[in-house]
Amino acid sequence: MSDRSHVMPTPEGEYFETSRFAGLSMIAGVVAAIALVLCVVGALVNPQQFAYSWLFGFGVFFAICAGCFFWIIVHHAVDAEWSVVVRRQLENIASLFPLFLLFFIPIVLLRHHLYEWLVIPKGTDHLLDSKRAYLNLPFFIVRALIILTFFSVMAYLFRRISVAQDRDGNPAHTLRMRKLAIASLPLFGFSLTFGAVDWFMSLNYIWFSTMWGVYIFAGAAGSSMSLLILIITWLRNSGYLKDVVSIEHYHTMGKWLLAFTVFWAYIGFSQYMLIWYANIPEETEYFILRNVESWNLMSLLLVFGRFFFPFGLLLLRSTKKKVKTLCILAGWIIFMELVDIYVIILPELHRSGMHLSIWDFFPVIGIGATLLFFYLRLVGKTSLFPTRDPRLMESLRFQN
Amino acid sequence: MRTPSGNKVYGMAAEYPSAAALYEAAKRVRDAGFKRWDVHSPFPIHGMDDAMGLGKSWLSAPVLIGGIVGFFTAITLTFGPSWFIYPLVVHGKPYDWRTVPAFFPIMFELTVLFAAFTCFFSMLIMNGLPRWHHPVFNWNRFSRVTNDAFFLVIEARDPRFTESEARQLLEETGGQHLTVIHED
Repeated sequence: MSDRSHVMPTPEGEYFETSRFAGLSMIAGVVAAIALVLCVVGALVNPQQFAYSWLFGFGVFFAICAGCFFWIIVHHAVDAEWSVVVRRQLENIASLFPLFLLFFIPIVLLRHHLYEWLVIPKGTDHLLDSKRAYLNLPFFIVRALIILTFFSVMAYLFRRISVAQDRDGNPAHTLRMRKLAIASLPLFGFSLTFGAVDWFMSLNYIWFSTMWGVYIFAGAAGSSMSLLILIITWLRNSGYLKDVVSIEHYHTMGKWLLAFTVFWAYIGFSQYMLIWYANIPEETEYFILRNVESWNLMSLLLVFGRFFFPFGLLLLRSTKKKVKTLCILAGWIIFMELVDIYVIILPELHRSGMHLSIWDFFPVIGIGATLLFFYLRLVGKTSLFPTRDPRLMESLRFQN
Repeated sequence: MRTPSGNKVYGMAAEYPSAAALYEAAKRVRDAGFKRWDVHSPFPIHGMDDAMGLGKSWLSAPVLIGGIVGFFTAITLTFGPSWFIYPLVVHGKPYDWRTVPAFFPIMFELTVLFAAFTCFFSMLIMNGLPRWHHPVFNWNRFSRVTNDAFFLVIEARDPRFTESEARQLLEETGGQHLTVIHED
């Protein structure tokens, strides 16, 4: 409907003025440097605690960045129109993946504190011996390299093609990205699943759950959509994307938050119920550990905080159409992702109850600030939205 | 309202050449203050709700009530027998409130089932369905509505409706083949 009279921005693009945010960038850099130095101190002072804390920080940001990558490919695969105006920020965040190859080094160095199956000698545990074809150090490192390289290379490709389209406006780029996205969907599924199994599930080599990858994915998709809402709002409050992202886009992002709030609960409960019902000792120990002592409170916080509270609010259309309430909920869901990953990892160390250590904070802050620092360097390099995507006009005048 | 020959009038209808023309016409009819009128197109037109001045549908209220009723039905049907009427130890599990994980799927299913049924039947009631016939089918051109034609019908029961005013408005907005539709 080309004759609808809406005021449209010229497709010249908007550019983030990196110099305007030099202060923020410097703060992020300084915070990252201090926190990472303290991480080194932590690794020397209390390596066991620090290993788990670092894995916690790594897990949270891996989930969020992988979720951003998921949103890029799923919207390309289904040829979505609405998401074009917010896609560049997803591309920017996912492009930070090469850093995770560095963030993975402490896990390799401190692996003996994390993974019991690396320490137990052959012949002592028949169960472990029968899993050694998969659970061995060389294969573990090769898998991690493949997973992180896959994310790094694909995220780089998507951003590069998208930026190339900004220059020449060739619609063939869109078709290329769609083909890449469809090929990436199953590979993404494998990567996230094996990452989740290797780094989080193998903390206890006896326990297993076939829904583990989906569970991590459900949290990742919800929290990355939350991060997208916060970043878009921050850009809008800084004066960008004013005529580009409308309340209709927020409404759609809110719907995704609702969908993945329900999906997270659905997967989390399905995993819990099957294990609870079958009552097999090697499966139940995961939930017994997390439902005794103070860990029980954290598990309950997850049930109510990650599902019932956001679910009730997100059901209302008025929540999804009000930027402020949506942002508060988005921040809350990211906090819940932190709690979720914390309850996955830390009980394996503190088996008799929650014990918040000072070293739990520095990895999250250090990794987060590093990512923010590099994000701020990346965001100004291109337009804040894809300027010559063939679906841009449809996305600009998108209505629910 | 009746024609000189005594037929009851349903409304005044016009055909539009495109979805965009229909969209613009809808905005004019909305601004003229009509309340009882509708547009017909072969496919949904984005933004038409706003152009017609339709608010949020109240369908969500009965659906919410249906869902809550389903939820409590499930609670009664699961806890009633298992906890009070006929307590039975299954799989060595407790039979009081602690067995709730086993009942969540039933609560979920009945919530969804009741909500879906309420949604479906409320929708039928709100639309006055099912019915055998509708006056707009008295107009031959209207059969193309599922194919390639766009229509706007202002109903005679609208308090603002007069034949001359409706005709003038539809003509001004570019309506073609204006016609008066009879009730039967």
